[in-house]
Amino acid sequence: MASPQMRMRSEAQQPAERERKAGLRLLGAERSEEIFPLLLEEIISLGHRAGFVARVDFETSAITPVASLNCTRGFLQKQHTTLFAMENPMVRILHTLKPEVIPDKPKPGANSLYVHPLVYRNRNNCWEAERANASTCLAVANFHCKQRLNLPDQICATCDMRAYAAVVCVELKPAAKASDISQLGALIELANRYLSRIFKVEHYYNRMTDMETTIGQMRTVLESMADPVILTDGQHRVITQNKAAERFFKLPDEVSEGRVRAVELNNLLFSAALSSMAVAGVDSSRDMTLVDAIEGEEVLFEAVSAPSFGADGRRTGMVTVMRDVTELRRADEELRQNYELLTAAEEVVRQDRDRLNLIIENVGDPIVVCDKDAKIVLVDPLAQELFGEERSERRAVHMRNQAKLDAYIAAFTYSFSDRESAPLHLFSPGTEAEVEYDARSGKIYDERGMVAYTVTVLRDLSAVRRLEQLKMERRMLEMEKFAVAGRMAGTIAHEVNNPMEAIKNCIFLLQDSIQEQAQPVYQILKTETERVARIVRQMLGLYRNTEQVGNVDINTVVEDTLMLFARQLDRSGVRVEKELDDLPPVVGSADQIRQILSNLVVNAKDSMAQGGRLRIRTRIAKSGLRDMIAITIGDSGCGIPPSMVNTMFEPFVTTKGERGTGLGLWIVKGIIENHGGKLKVRSKVDHGTVFRMEFPLVQ
Amino acid sequence: MSASKPHILVVDDEPNVLVTYRLILQQQGYEVSAAISSEEARNCLQKGGVDLLLCDLSLEKQQSGFDVIHFGRSLEPKLQAVLLTGYASAEANDRAEHESIPVLFKPIDIQQLLQTIADLLRKNNESRQAHGT
Repeated sequence: MASPQMRMRSEAQQPAERERKAGLRLLGAERSEEIFPLLLEEIISLGHRAGFVARVDFETSAITPVASLNCTRGFLQKQHTTLFAMENPMVRILHTLKPEVIPDKPKPGANSLYVHPLVYRNRNNCWEAERANASTCLAVANFHCKQRLNLPDQICATCDMRAYAAVVCVELKPAAKASDISQLGALIELANRYLSRIFKVEHYYNRMTDMETTIGQMRTVLESMADPVILTDGQHRVITQNKAAERFFKLPDEVSEGRVRAVELNNLLFSAALSSMAVAGVDSSRDMTLVDAIEGEEVLFEAVSAPSFGADGRRTGMVTVMRDVTELRRADEELRQNYELLTAAEEVVRQDRDRLNLIIENVGDPIVVCDKDAKIVLVDPLAQELFGEERSERRAVHMRNQAKLDAYIAAFTYSFSDRESAPLHLFSPGTEAEVEYDARSGKIYDERGMVAYTVTVLRDLSAVRRLEQLKMERRMLEMEKFAVAGRMAGTIAHEVNNPMEAIKNCIFLLQDSIQEQAQPVYQILKTETERVARIVRQMLGLYRNTEQVGNVDINTVVEDTLMLFARQLDRSGVRVEKELDDLPPVVGSADQIRQILSNLVVNAKDSMAQGGRLRIRTRIAKSGLRDMIAITIGDSGCGIPPSMVNTMFEPFVTTKGERGTGLGLWIVKGIIENHGGKLKVRSKVDHGTVFRMEFPLVQ
Repeated sequence: MSASKPHILVVDDEPNVLVTYRLILQQQGYEVSAAISSEEARNCLQKGGVDLLLCDLSLEKQQSGFDVIHFGRSLEPKLQAVLLTGYASAEANDRAEHESIPVLFKPIDIQQLLQTIADLLRKNNESRQAHGT
């Protein structure tokens, strides 16, 4: 744009016009690379001979010519240098940022070289620094830089732009004046200003391209994620979402009503979840069930949301990543169920074990478990008392017990029997007294049928032995009592006998001289006296027979007794059946056994007033471990009434009224017990009674 | 010695028993002598003419019926005797059986006693007749 004053000064007008044209040409450059060739053209058009531009590569610190005009290849080759070659005037000038003409005093005929450094610089802040209110802008810093340029720091702290640095070298036209040089300098500075602008634009373009690349990459990442990812703004509106998210939150092209509803429902759920999570402010997660709009299935998601922030630190929205946890939850559930099953099974096992422990504890007997080599693997506390503990100090008594137990268990383990029961004499750790144990053992086999373990329970027999002793003592006492009673009965009977004899004789003598009216009284006198006589006879019999012990043949005694009563039995209509096995002798008194049999045969006969059957059987029988001789006397008589079962063996208890003494069974029982035997009765009213006697055999 | 009435000597240390036996036997028509002790019995036996001796086993002062019977038999070897007892040991029983002396246990059944006496006297008679002829 020309002003009237400029036109009038035609002398000065021409250079100004030229400058303006040069400026416009430079302004027309679109790209930074275009600036240097244009600049060199303008420089040559000013009449200078040649020129080149060398640019600094900050990566390698190399300084390389990038554009030249009228320069020979050889000359340019020589201009390659580095930032560190300070002896090179071009490098030195680049560091000082002051344009110079070299050499200072040109020799005649030689051409002077004008060197002008170019860096990214400007009088004012760039717009970005202006807008961000940044205090530093590399352009301004470089502009004001009077000192040496710190070339490696050419990166702007505000806009992150890497600046450029270059030198323009011009071979001046001969006899160049100072005005020529300043004109040249102004042109280069103008070019630099345009360059810095283009450079800046190119920087933004590069940044934008980078960003697009990054965005594209992010997009790819986002889309390649199988989990739905959603970016929302401050109002929970969806800004962007990946395909996985669209499946749930975006209406598909072909809409069906069901899908619309599913998507609406999902959106509703999602925005409710977001609202609640947004309150938390930091990362938060929650489970939510969404409906797959395509498949129509319910999918359980775990949504993790994190707030997103802008460059200024303000919250801009939220990023939500949702993870399909349907399978996970199902696996969780399965795991939980398995765990519960396992816990239950474990509980059963534990209960079993507790129960077993309880049983073992409550057996109250020492228990020892050994392995196949007869080594102890388990003992209960009671057994521990007997055999000592492995760790603690063991006393001699423990060792002795252990030795005895080892011998027994080893014998059992290697024997062929499954179970074993044997007496084991151990020593009480407390009193060191010998204690008799009943050791009972069993074997536990493994699946191959080999002995895996043996279990031994030790039963303390001292209590049993004590009880047996007590029983024995009581029996002895009973026998003694019976003997005393017998002796006493005998003595009394003996004393009564003689007066009785006299009374009886008197009654006999009087029988013919009793008057008619006195006869009933006389009869009473007679029967009662006879009764007393019978009692005395019984008592005497008992006394009379307490001696004479020897080997007795039971069958002979039975035959004798039956012979003795044969007539009476026959008269009463009683049929006798004998079944007498061959018997070894018993130790006892034949007289007493005869008395027993007599008493029982008489009782049987008396019970069968209308006749009947009397069975006598003798044989060898087993009672526990010992052989016994058993005699059974059975009748088909009236039986014993239940009310008498408990008292029938007591003295003076009778069913025969005045005919009986009530001593018979008492004597029978006493005699049998004196012989170490047993008496059993089985009776049923109106069917009969069976007495069974057992006598121990003579070994 | 009367031929019609057999002569029985009863020996017992109990007076009442002795008396009642005497009365019963007299009632049955026997001639009866009674002795309260072994000494009396011996005196009586020495007089002779006793057909049957009924003797209690246990007499006074360690004397037993066997002693009296032995004494009687030393005078008259074929003297029939019956031993009466309230209590007989097995030895006594065996001994009586060995010496063929019947034993009757007190309290004695009178009918049985009379039967035994009758049997023995008849045996006595028979042997005497056999001997006499």
